[in-house]
Parts: sequence; C-alpha cells; structure tokens
Amino acid sequence: MSTTVTTPENSVPALVRHTGLQAGRLLTRWRRDPMTVLQSLAYPVLLLLMLEAVLGRQVSAFAGQDALYGTVPMVVVMSALLGSLAGAVTLGRECEAGLPARLWVLPVHRASALASRFVAEAVRITVTTVVVVAAGVVLGFRFHRGPLAAIGFLAVPVLFGLAFAALVTAAAFMAAKTVVIEAISLLCTLMLFFNPGFVPIGAYPDVLAPVIRNQPMTSAVETMQALALGGAVQGPLVRTVAWSVALVAVCAVPVIRGYRRAL
Amino acid sequence: MTTTTAAPSPLYQWWVLSARTLIPAVRGGELVTALVAPLVFTVGFYVPLQRVIALFTGGAVDYGQFLMPLIALQAVAFTAISAAFLAATDAVHGIDRRFATMPIAAAVPLAARLSASTVKCALSLAAAIGCGYVIGFRFAGATAAVGFCVLALTIGTVLTLGADVLGTVFRSPEATTQALMLPQLVLGMLSCGFVPIDQFPAWIQPFVRNQPVSQFASSLRGLADGTGAALTPTLLWLGGILLVVVPLATRTNRRQR
Repeated sequence: MSTTVTTPENSVPALVRHTGLQAGRLLTRWRRDPMTVLQSLAYPVLLLLMLEAVLGRQVSAFAGQDALYGTVPMVVVMSALLGSLAGAVTLGRECEAGLPARLWVLPVHRASALASRFVAEAVRITVTTVVVVAAGVVLGFRFHRGPLAAIGFLAVPVLFGLAFAALVTAAAFMAAKTVVIEAISLLCTLMLFFNPGFVPIGAYPDVLAPVIRNQPMTSAVETMQALALGGAVQGPLVRTVAWSVALVAVCAVPVIRGYRRAL
Repeated sequence: MTTTTAAPSPLYQWWVLSARTLIPAVRGGELVTALVAPLVFTVGFYVPLQRVIALFTGGAVDYGQFLMPLIALQAVAFTAISAAFLAATDAVHGIDRRFATMPIAAAVPLAARLSASTVKCALSLAAAIGCGYVIGFRFAGATAAVGFCVLALTIGTVLTLGADVLGTVFRSPEATTQALMLPQLVLGMLSCGFVPIDQFPAWIQPFVRNQPVSQFASSLRGLADGTGAALTPTLLWLGGILLVVVPLATRTNRRQR
C-alpha cells in the first residue's frame, strides 16, 4: 500500500509523535478512571474548601493576610506530589503486566516511553492547578502581580512536580518498591502539615522553624505565594529550581536504567 | 461408625480465628501503624495549630486539652478502617466462603475479626492518650479516665462493626479503605473536636454541631474534664448506627452458608 512510515524510529519527529501518542494514552486512562479524576480534581478542591472553612479565619488572623495565599499553593503542590505517587504505582503495575516490554518490540522511539510519562504528568498537574486556583478565586484568591506572574504561578508546581515524579519513578524501580513508596507518602503527609502554606512559619515551635524553612515543599509554596500576593520571588524561586534540578540530577540515572531493565 | 470427632467449641474457634488476625498484625507491623497513627495526628495538628488557636481565642482554649478527644476518635476510626480492609480482604480472597464450608458457627469469623480489631483499637487508644499527655491533656480523675476509655472503645467497636460490614459487602480492600478515609477526614475536621464551634463560619455551624463526630468529641471531652457532658446524642447516634449495621451484619454473615 501507499502508506509507509518514512521517518526512522529513532528520529526526532518520531520521538515527538510517539511521546504524544503515549502521553495521550496515559491521559485517556486517567480521564476514564473515576477514582483518578476524583483524586486529582475533587479531593484537592474539597481539601481547599475544608481548610478555608475550618481554619481560614484563624490562620488569616495569625498571618495578617488571607490564609488562601498559603492554602492554594499548598494544595496545588500537594496534589502534584500525590498524583505522581499514584502514577508511580500505575507504572509498577504496568511493568508487572509487561506493557513496556510489548512496546519495546515495536518500532517506537526508545525515549518516548519515559518522555510521555513526564508530558502526561505535566498536563495533569496543570489541569489540577487550574481547577484548584479557580476554586480559590471563588473563595477570594487573586493574582496581584499581573498575568506574567500568574503564568509563573502555574509553572512552579509543574517544575517541582516533575522533579518529584523523577524521584518516585526512581523509587518505583527500586527493589523494595512498596516500602519506599509508603515511606515517601508518609513523608508527603508530614510535609503537608509542616510547610508555610498550612500555617505561617511563626506558628511552629522555634526548634522546627529551620527545618520547615528548608524543606523542599516550602520553597515551592513560598515562590507561588510571592508570585500571587507579592514579596521577594527570587530567593524561593532559586531554591525551588535548585531542589528540582538536584532531584532530577540524582534520579535521572536510576530512572533511565530502571526503564531499560523493565522493558 | 460410632466414633465422631467432637467439633471444637465455638469459644475455641473464636480464639483461634482471633489469633489468626492478630498474630500477622504483630508480625507484619500493622500494629505499629495503629500505634503511630495517633502520633502522626497529634504532631500534624497540634504542633502547627497550637499557637494559631491560642492567638485566635486569646489564650482561652488550652488546645492540647481541647484536641485530645478528637485524637482518640481518629485513632479508633483508623483501626475501624483497617478492619474494613481486613474484612474486604477475607471476602475477596474467598476466606469467608471457605470458613462457611467448615463446621464453624456462623457468628465466629465476624466475632473474631471484631475482637481482634478491638484489641488494636484499645492499643491505639492507649497511644492516643499517651500523646495527649505529652501535649498537656489531663483527665479530671480516675472515674473520668474510665468513662472516657469505655465510651471511646464503645464508639470504636460500633464503627468497627460498620466498617467490617462495608468491607464484607464491597469486597474491595483498597476502594473501601479509600472511601472511608474521606468521611474520617471530613467529619474529623468539620467537627467541634477540632476547632471550637464558634470559630466556624455561621452557615456551616448547624452541620458541625450536629454531626456524630462532634457529638462524640463533646461527650468524650465532658467525660475527660469531669464536667459531665450530654451523652444522649452520642448514644442515639451509636444506637442508630447499630440499628442499620446489625441487621446487615446478620444478613451478610448468614447468606454465605
């Protein structure tokens, strides 16, 4: 017949096309799984509403500014992290089922399997962020620094979330994966309570303040807070980028090697 | 043809099946989770919120004393959720059916799961009280402590029975657990065990005041402080839950024969 594939499987156009295809597959899967939709869209909004209803006034009084400028970034970052954890579990299941191995015997660009996961993650995080911010706007959250800062606000969780996705993907390939993933999700839960989005740093006992100031989620939350409300962006932004780059640098090799072995 | 093996007494069967649940819980570290859960809850809520609540109330509320009943409730709810996981696992793996083919009294497997969960519940409650003492919670006296523990364990047992039925009916360990986490979180946070009722927005106060977790927390707080809280709403809620759950439990555990 007339249709023949003209580009070789290891070319850049093939990479783009195959990545798009596989990312589309992952996104379709998420969209059709009611549990995933619930967890990535409904739960974050519910959490935001509850935090606002239960603690909004008290935290606003303590912080001297609307508590939403803490809770919206926190909920966004949190759902990015939890979504990546769920993604790592899915990945583990797919590897067990032999799906990557089946793709491996087809003329598919070698990097597309990995790249597509990160593209799909980025789309998921963006959608969640937009939905949570929309809920926040209804409650009174506003961007005070203009549209450019708002775009930056959307980009921070994507950057940080992808770096975290690298970490959990590496963890998923490790031998004792359930233990590692459980440990990471416990750490995430702790980070939820110990970051300046939940309550201002001044509310924590003085001994804990340095720990909270330096944990990775804090930098992302502070950057987003500054981008929405005002204040110094540069410091927290540099720290967020540094954390993200460091995570990717540490995890890149295990992730790529893990993929090779899983395929 | 005269010799027949005497079937073990139901009491002994219950003992064996309880051990079947408890021993792996000890070995598999599940018991550690039951002990750590109250700790995580205490650290996660008391540490960040203590100054915030103190400032907002002008120091009128001792948050450690205030929060402790909810920590206890979350601890017992957490063990109830793990009971749902256990019941669903037994149901989906065909264990229930296998027991049903054996000469075991119908109520024994359920009773064994319940008693094993009650042991976990008691341990978790003890951990919660320990955490409470660290953050400044004190019982008004020995009677207060006994009343508090009895009520907390009763609530835990009723919730466990409900969770067990849900797990047995839905037969999906993960989905059941996740579905139960949501009410635990929502009812726990939107309760006057978490924050004083007058700090909630006015529109949500009627719900917060009347939902069961608030009533449980108020009753427990009254018992612990020795101020004698209204127990009637709590007992009515518990009775209402039992009214729904007991017939269901009887049905699900009989139908399998």
